[in-house]
Amino acid sequence: MLKPILLVEDNPHDLELTLIALERSQLANEVIVVRDGADALDYLHMRGAFADREQGNPAVVLLDLKLPKVDGLEVLAEIRGQMALKSLPVVMLTSSREEQDLIRSYELGVNAYVVKPVDFQEFVRAISDLGIFWAVLNEPPPGSQRYVKPQ
Amino acid sequence: MPEATSADIATCESEPIRIPGAVQPHGFLLSLDRRQLATGAADAPVVQVSDNLHAFIGMEPAAALGQPLRNVIGGAADLLAPLLHRDQPRHRAGFLATLTLGAGADRRHDGAAGRSQFDVLVHESDGLLVLEFEPAAGSVDASLHHLYPLVGDFLNKINDADSIVEMSQLAVNEIAALTGFGRVMVYSFDKEGHGTVLAECLQDGYDGYLGQRFPAGDIPRQARELYLLNRIRLIQDAGYAPAALLPPDNPLTGQPTDLSLAALRSVSPVHLQYMRNMGTLASMSVSLVVDGKLWGLLSCHHAAPRRLSYHQRTVCEQLGQILALRIRNRADADELQFRLDVRRVMVGLLGGLTQGTDFIENLRSVMPDLLRFARAGGVAIVIDDRLISFGDTPDDQQIRDLAGWLSLHSHEDLFHSNHLSAMYPPAAAYIGSASGLLAMPISRIHQHYLLWFRPELVYTIDWAGRPPNKQGGDRAALTPRTSFDIWHEAVHGTSVPWHDAELELALEFRTTLLGIALERAEQMADLAEELGRANKELEAFSYSVSHDLRAPLRHIVGFSDLLMETAGNDNPERRLRFLANIKNAARLAGKLVDDLLSFSQMGRAALRPVRIRMGEMVNGCIERLGPDTLSRRIEWRVDPLPDVIADPAFLQLALYNLLSNAVKFTAQSDPAVIRITSERLPHEVVFHIADNGVGFNMDYVHKLFGVFQRLHRMEDFNGTGIGLANVRRIVERHGGRAWAHSTPGEGAIFSFSIPNNPPPDRE
Repeated sequence: MLKPILLVEDNPHDLELTLIALERSQLANEVIVVRDGADALDYLHMRGAFADREQGNPAVVLLDLKLPKVDGLEVLAEIRGQMALKSLPVVMLTSSREEQDLIRSYELGVNAYVVKPVDFQEFVRAISDLGIFWAVLNEPPPGSQRYVKPQ
Repeated sequence: MPEATSADIATCESEPIRIPGAVQPHGFLLSLDRRQLATGAADAPVVQVSDNLHAFIGMEPAAALGQPLRNVIGGAADLLAPLLHRDQPRHRAGFLATLTLGAGADRRHDGAAGRSQFDVLVHESDGLLVLEFEPAAGSVDASLHHLYPLVGDFLNKINDADSIVEMSQLAVNEIAALTGFGRVMVYSFDKEGHGTVLAECLQDGYDGYLGQRFPAGDIPRQARELYLLNRIRLIQDAGYAPAALLPPDNPLTGQPTDLSLAALRSVSPVHLQYMRNMGTLASMSVSLVVDGKLWGLLSCHHAAPRRLSYHQRTVCEQLGQILALRIRNRADADELQFRLDVRRVMVGLLGGLTQGTDFIENLRSVMPDLLRFARAGGVAIVIDDRLISFGDTPDDQQIRDLAGWLSLHSHEDLFHSNHLSAMYPPAAAYIGSASGLLAMPISRIHQHYLLWFRPELVYTIDWAGRPPNKQGGDRAALTPRTSFDIWHEAVHGTSVPWHDAELELALEFRTTLLGIALERAEQMADLAEELGRANKELEAFSYSVSHDLRAPLRHIVGFSDLLMETAGNDNPERRLRFLANIKNAARLAGKLVDDLLSFSQMGRAALRPVRIRMGEMVNGCIERLGPDTLSRRIEWRVDPLPDVIADPAFLQLALYNLLSNAVKFTAQSDPAVIRITSERLPHEVVFHIADNGVGFNMDYVHKLFGVFQRLHRMEDFNGTGIGLANVRRIVERHGGRAWAHSTPGEGAIFSFSIPNNPPPDRE
């Protein structure tokens, strides 16, 4: 059973573009989409609307920085502060390279920080690389399952 | 030189002026043992006499010792006895009676009428009852009934005098006329004890001293004490040969006889020689005692011997007392007036200090008043690296050095000196501008000073000859001087002393100044806070530009790329959607730019507050929303609303934002109910906009009014996330607050307040 990718994105256009990019990377992982930071935490904590979801953490969280209600940095801080979630790979996706965001993200222990390229081909490549790296190449934390790309 | 002053130069501190062991010979002295009065003073034995007794009553002094008083002065003793029995304190020489003494009265003494008439004075000294007998007639014919009207007359005149100088002049005129002394003057001591001649009355041939100053050292401490105790002193004839006491010591105690209170007390032979050299053969001084302190002296000189009876002296003493009393009243009034004047200057100063916003510039503008406030010649303010000086001051570096010295050596709220170079030697370089310094720290934290400078006041002491203690000779050899050429001594490096009232008011000024500075600091802190907030908004602004403006651009590029990829592909629905997305993103980008611009304008444009009818403004906004709400059922419930004072353009924008939000978030409610209500509080009016829309989660209420903060998905409720940030900004610029409350699913209430008196716009 492959672990899903959790995509946290509020902007519908960004969401559409990201989903297209993930589709093109031909990852077999299911992509779970939530639309704000509060929902992302509900999913991870298996509460609220996600109380009945299947057990287990996602392979990676693709986290938009600017989100309604609870923003990306707050979600990241919450993940790193929880025993059950702290080893979860988190990739921050953002529109711009603001130094304060970069510093804060790394301080909070982000695994990667990606500025969404304006060019769509590059965007597709970046998302695809991320997916493959974190869902495929990366050695997951103990107890996780590694995805083997079907031949 | 006044007699008292010269006397005290001659009698240095160690001279035994209270125990000369002799009396002046124009009268004689008899002492009784106070304990032996029980059987009547007439029978009490005489225990001490002056050795001129024989000249007056023809009895050898030694023969008188041990004899009952009656045996010495005859029947007069029985007249005195009842008077002596009165058990009253005799701490001053008091008048007992005028007596005629029997045979043996010496004709060498005054041939005038009543030559054998004696005034008898009595006082106590260490157990002795000291009786002094002096001829009842003086050089001027003045009987009691002639003298007393003088006092009443003087009282009337002095009441009309306005100034201390005028009063003093009246007194010297009166005493000159009464006593016939050739030179009569009044001089006063300043705080340091220097004397200044205020008034004088001269006969032909006498030099004047008006306006001259005499240093404090002229009158030794012991003399000052004696002058407080015994308020009048007379030397009738400097050519006298003292009449020694027999025995010389107090026979009861074995100690030298204390003649402090004796009218006949003999003065130092040195002083007598001094007077003879000076050509002054008679002198008298009357103490002017104000508030228990020796304020000054009434001083009289005459070239020839002058005799004054007890009663004449007493009238002089009374005139002196009246003068001292009037001086005290006048000084109190002058002091009050002076304080009033200084305070008036201070109030003006403080008014000037609160004019502008720059504290230091304000200080600069009140420099002339600062000078007047402290009657200074120059003033300087040292604040960090800034130094402002005005008037006659040392140069900048000297002032900085002085401030540095002050910070190390003075920890008082006020430092003052009228002889700065004595404490701070470098000040000797600029005694011309700053012999006097009044300095006060004007910050509790920093070394900031306000400094007042007073110029040197060179004063010349005109001595009637170089005084012995200025000759540098051997102090032990007290020789009277023989030269009376005027000797000038210039005193350098001192200024006019700082007045008590000036010091007190300077302290008061400092307190107020610190208050102003503190208030200023608070305003600065407020300003800093405001700047900080503006800066934060600016950061949020640029942050938002980089995030939120990039997103639509990326979307346009992304969907365009996708559109081109699918060019050959025939999925028209997908292509149309991409096109719609592109259009949508472009429109959003435009709106973002507009909103960001309006947001930044909000911070810059000045407010122009006027009276606003809120009811009309609300209805105007509702009308503007009309086209967007045609398809909806919206129930507007608008209460009667009070007027407010605010900028109409800005307030309308805020109101419109709130009402359109209410419309937006009630899209799923049918009917939508939007209520606009108000509350009038003491200092502000609060408006509430309540809806029955989706509401929001109170967990995120702190983010609600931030720039580009959204609590909802973009596709659910469109908008750029600037509206509420604008609302808050507008309300806060009016001095009010904006807040919100909600229960999700049950609607939200957005509230804002507008103060009754909007603060002055600072942006």
